[in-house]
Amino acid sequence: MKRLTRRQTLWLGGSVVVVAGGGVGARLLLRKRFAPTPYDDLIALVEDRDGAAQIGETVLAEVEDFEPKTMAADLRTRIAGRPLATVIAEDASDRRIAEGGGWVLPETLALICALAAKASA
Amino acid sequence: MQADLAIIGGGPVGIAIALALAKTPLKIVLLESGGMSFDAKTQALYDGSKVGTPYVTLEASRLRYLGGSSNHWGGWCRPMDAIDFEERTWMPYSGWPITKKDVDRYFVKAHELCEAGTLYYDGAGKVTGDLGPRLALGPGGLTTRWFQFSRMHGSVLPTHFGERYAGDLKKQAKLTVYLQANVTRLGLGRAGSAISELDVATLDGKKFTVKPKAAVLATGAIESARLLLASNDVNTAGIGNNHDLVGRFFADHPCPRDNATLVLFDGKIAPYYLGNQVAHGAILRAGLFPSEDFRRSQAVMASSITVEGKIDLDDVGKAAVAVTAAALGVDASNAVAHSLGCGMEVTPDPDRRLTLDASRDALGMPKLKLHMRLADQDFAKYRLTLKELGRQLLESRAGMLKLNSRTRDEWFGSLDWGNHHMGTTRMSADPRKGVVNADLKVHDVANLYVAGSSVFPTYGAANPTINLLALALRLADHLKGAVK
Ligand SMILES: Cc1cc2nc3c(=O)[nH]c(=O)nc-3n(C[C@H](O)[C@H](O)[C@H](O)COP(=O)(O)OP(=O)(O)OC[C@H]3O[C@@H](n4cnc5c(N)ncnc54)[C@H](O)[C@@H]3O)c2cc1C
Repeated sequence: MKRLTRRQTLWLGGSVVVVAGGGVGARLLLRKRFAPTPYDDLIALVEDRDGAAQIGETVLAEVEDFEPKTMAADLRTRIAGRPLATVIAEDASDRRIAEGGGWVLPETLALICALAAKASA
Repeated sequence: MQADLAIIGGGPVGIAIALALAKTPLKIVLLESGGMSFDAKTQALYDGSKVGTPYVTLEASRLRYLGGSSNHWGGWCRPMDAIDFEERTWMPYSGWPITKKDVDRYFVKAHELCEAGTLYYDGAGKVTGDLGPRLALGPGGLTTRWFQFSRMHGSVLPTHFGERYAGDLKKQAKLTVYLQANVTRLGLGRAGSAISELDVATLDGKKFTVKPKAAVLATGAIESARLLLASNDVNTAGIGNNHDLVGRFFADHPCPRDNATLVLFDGKIAPYYLGNQVAHGAILRAGLFPSEDFRRSQAVMASSITVEGKIDLDDVGKAAVAVTAAALGVDASNAVAHSLGCGMEVTPDPDRRLTLDASRDALGMPKLKLHMRLADQDFAKYRLTLKELGRQLLESRAGMLKLNSRTRDEWFGSLDWGNHHMGTTRMSADPRKGVVNADLKVHDVANLYVAGSSVFPTYGAANPTINLLALALRLADHLKGAVK
């Protein structure tokens, strides 16, 4: 069996660090930049903006006359500074449900996703 | 040949009635078209045509030999609910002339005939507890309920009534079973108010007549309509058809496969949802069913949802799960997706019907034509039920649901059928609304009864056999007093 030299070991170890460090760095550096919108505060409530935009496209296909600014204002009133998890649990128990691509979604989440889709359009 | 009672058809119903009455003083003949096993020429007597909505061919969806279609049934059992018997404002033509209570006491015996073990059903949770918890659903329209399964003693198959009970039938002193005996005409007396004779023919050319005091037609929902319509020598409309109802309201349970996708965030589901489990001598499987309250408040029909195999999600699906779970504050790193299946109730429709065709079978009987239809509204109502299930999953934070079909083409793309033929000789206290009365006697015919799922005025989503057996046993009780 070929023995690893100290240099190789360091280099391998280093590469792990580099890769790991590169991951974090790349995330910061390569983070997708989105043009600012008047409803970024709402979009920021969901973790995966690209994923949200993907679902949002399917939600938009179901909603007629989606006007982002009005929708954002309505959502802010509904959310009223509460955690998103609380609001969407309330959506489910109050039967405020929307559909996107067949997925049954809490309405507030669906509409935030729709805003994310509008923002990336 | 004379008899007190002639039973026409040796399927589960005919066999159940024959055995239930075998110890009475009645002299009974059971006339069965087939033999002890499949025969292509006999089976061809079931041949017919169909128009309209795609459906199973008439000769493929049933079997014509002793035991009838139980020779290839799936053995799924579940009693109907009390609401299934009620008149419902949102369900046209609904309302049975009897209540669930009138048949309840016959289910134990019906279960015994199906060799389906102790009746647990809604109490099954008690005996399956060790196998894992029920799906966590928020309060709402759907709940976990149970199917039980028939299993023939010493076999892995459900009870094949012919094979299983042939020996018992033979042992009965006052019961004679005729195989290869096809009833080709129900002969009304001149007055048209009672059956006086039955014409019987074999495929090798023999013919004979049975003169019974009373007769029970137990040939399945398709063939019973055919015999009534084709026996038109005295009454040109056929027997029991003064109000043009025989053959109408045909129904089956549509079973759209993969109609929804169930995602469980923690990936866990008790095994009794995914397949049959044996517990305390019973074979059980859980399904998800709309509650009576939900059916009333949302005006939806019955349905039974089953959880099927695992499936992969597409990219949008993965995003939907990740975004939703994160927003609910739930870990979905072990999420698993399952396909859902179901059996749906359909709205009674007088134009979904069987009529006689010009062509004839090898015995000279007119063949049938099925005019099949299925309303978009029925799918839309089932979709509402699925959506409620999705909502309940979100409320409990256990998972989420995707509805896979919306358009007619999408529903039909995965449509299968239960092969549960029903409705063609519906039961009603009013002769203008039904072919048979609450005792299953044909209106205006003193001594002719029809047994089987053809008498169901509405269909529920429960598998029919255990229910039609309970009704048949109730009829047997009635006949003890009615036929002397
Ligand atoms: C593929 C399949 C799977 C199924 N799975 C299930 C299930 O899992 N659960 C459930 O509850 N149900 C199931 N069913 C339905 C079940 O098989 C029927 O509900 C049951 O067989 C009906 O019993 P029956 O006696 O009324 O009619 P049949 O079983 O149709 O029996 C009628 C009998 O009459 C005889 N006959 C017909 N014409 C004449 C004639 N002119 N003269 C004399 N005899 C005649 C036939 O040969 C037959 O033996 C299934 C059906 C199919 C086809």
